[in-house]
Amino acid sequence: MNLKNISIALTALVFGLVIMLFMQKGNYVKQGREHYDNTTAKSFKGNSMVLELVNNGIDMNKQTWAIACEALQSVKNSQDMARLEAKFFPATKGSNSIANKTRRFEASSANVIVSTFGKVEEDKKTGVKSLADLQSVDVSVLLGNVAAATAAESEDEGEE
Amino acid sequence: MDNKKLKILAVVDVVILVALVVVLKTLQGGYEEQVKKTVNEQESAYLEKNTQVLVEQWRSVDQYSMAWKLVYSMLSGAKTEAAFKANLASIEGDKDARFKQISHLYTGAGINDAVQNGIFEKAGLAEGSILVKNEKGNKEVACGKGCVVKFSFAKGKLKNIDYSALVQYNLANTLKIEKPGEYHFE
Repeated sequence: MNLKNISIALTALVFGLVIMLFMQKGNYVKQGREHYDNTTAKSFKGNSMVLELVNNGIDMNKQTWAIACEALQSVKNSQDMARLEAKFFPATKGSNSIANKTRRFEASSANVIVSTFGKVEEDKKTGVKSLADLQSVDVSVLLGNVAAATAAESEDEGEE
Repeated sequence: MDNKKLKILAVVDVVILVALVVVLKTLQGGYEEQVKKTVNEQESAYLEKNTQVLVEQWRSVDQYSMAWKLVYSMLSGAKTEAAFKANLASIEGDKDARFKQISHLYTGAGINDAVQNGIFEKAGLAEGSILVKNEKGNKEVACGKGCVVKFSFAKGKLKNIDYSALVQYNLANTLKIEKPGEYHFE
């Protein structure tokens, strides 16, 4: 009786091990797949985010550069500049500094241009002052020279 | 079943059991190693492919940034062919300024220094000159992947700059991070 039980138990063990033998490959592959899925998903997410953020950054950057370059060719006064800004960024307005004869346009803290004008003009009817005779457009911020642009920061006191 | 047969069965079972345990242990090590190896290989291949896209993006942004700087220089300074050459050489040669301009764009886009440095270590700066065509008065400058700015000169004087490709520049059309494929083990 005792021997019979031992034989049954041993036979059961043999079958158990045979099943384990067939399952172990599947288990390792499953673990490997989980590791692969986690690692690649993390990489996909992280790198896609970098790609997208930079592409969005370029989008804003190129429009700011476009304003600066177009201004050099067609802008005469601060009203022209305002129209040009509105063409690329309808929701963002630049601001004149009558004292410094400059106009600062800030699409974002990383995308800033400062235009310098030669004259201040005053509308005789309304008394509103504006800037005329564009001299230069400063793109220091776009080039990464943030300090230079901070020095040129102007107070918002003028009219368009 | 008599005792003798049961005894034989028990002995055979024990032999098979020992054999199975040996086979199990041997295969276990083999599978573990094989799976680790294939997982590492396939992960590295995917990660490398992904990183390559960011490397290409970084170098494109370098060309893009140099192109804008060149267009700006030509519009704000001397409008001659000689000035074009001087500006181009100065822009391409100033590697610190190139890095600064790219890094500024990345920082503005919300990419931290550690990630930037990781990409820069692999990408460096765009290789070669951005001047891709130089035929008498017609010059073309690469402004990133699939982007060209055209400068035309007549008798040494700047006639026109066509930088519409820069204004419309969109890397999303040309660079993509592919989704990972399935892990496979044979």
